[in-house]
Amino acid sequence: MADKVICVTSGKGGVGKSTITGNLATALAAKGYKVVAIDADIGLRNLDLILGLENRIVYDIVHVAEGVCPVEKALVKDKRTKNLHLLPAAQTKDKNAISPEDLVNIVESLREKFDFIFIDSPAGIEEGFKTAVTPADTILVVANPEMASIRDADRVTGLCETMGKPEPKLIVNRLDPKKVAKGDMLDAEDVVQILGLELIGIVPEDKNMVSYINRGEPAVLFEESIAGKALRNVAERLLGKEVPFLNLEYNEGFFEKLKKLFGGD
Amino acid sequence: MGLWPFRKKSSKEIAKKRLQLVLKYDRAGLPPNAIEEVKNAILNALKDFPFIDASGVSIYVPNEDSEKIEIEIPVKN
Repeated sequence: MADKVICVTSGKGGVGKSTITGNLATALAAKGYKVVAIDADIGLRNLDLILGLENRIVYDIVHVAEGVCPVEKALVKDKRTKNLHLLPAAQTKDKNAISPEDLVNIVESLREKFDFIFIDSPAGIEEGFKTAVTPADTILVVANPEMASIRDADRVTGLCETMGKPEPKLIVNRLDPKKVAKGDMLDAEDVVQILGLELIGIVPEDKNMVSYINRGEPAVLFEESIAGKALRNVAERLLGKEVPFLNLEYNEGFFEKLKKLFGGD
Repeated sequence: MGLWPFRKKSSKEIAKKRLQLVLKYDRAGLPPNAIEEVKNAILNALKDFPFIDASGVSIYVPNEDSEKIEIEIPVKN
């Protein structure tokens, strides 16, 4: 598979990179693919929490880079989702503790053994970001439909181009259909038009997301989660399948329609 | 869309316009006042030509996909 190594990045922090990485990795592993999720956010380890694996970490990616242990020994196997493995970030080291070459070497040593290798990038555009992006075949840029996030996504896209990487694909995360209907939030279409990237996912705001993360259980494992469903669809698209985007149109009530007709907010 | 022409622009439309302009500057690596400076330089140069209506000179980005800026220089009747 050409798109085996997938880096999830965003520029801006807090837009849902780790949540999306954890969920996509889980969705593909649940379908039977061998998946490893690498947390490249050194010093701000979080992917372990999303996957509920924080208590099982012995070694981390910096140990691997420093030759303290082989990569296989550092991988945390997920017991719930077979085929899913986590290579955790170090929590105590600084964000430049691994170089692009270190990560390329680690990814190369995993490439033959896995169907998919996800890399959760740190926020920002410094060395840590460059390290995370360097080994990737495919880059997913996560943006919230919100000004600062879109601007930063554009910046990151420009940097990927400078690095000679393929054009990132776009995931619009935390879209609130009600706000879009009210004219108070950019629609996914607007974000696509502004950034000029290929859209691979629209993930709606899901009030239950916090509780899935609280429990360390990725939303994709739950039929009833709307965000989980959107993320399962992204996973299908990563497999090359054509899946229609969810209909996220907000159905206005009569009074809301009336108010809008008269130009009110 | 509301029925009334004086309907306030939605924050979504404003955000889109602002982002399109800011990204144009970001992508070109221009400082935020670059166009303003170009405009001032042109106005200065036009001062020597009395048949030009300097107050009507406008500089704008014609549309979001355009790579160029346009200048309108009105001539006095």
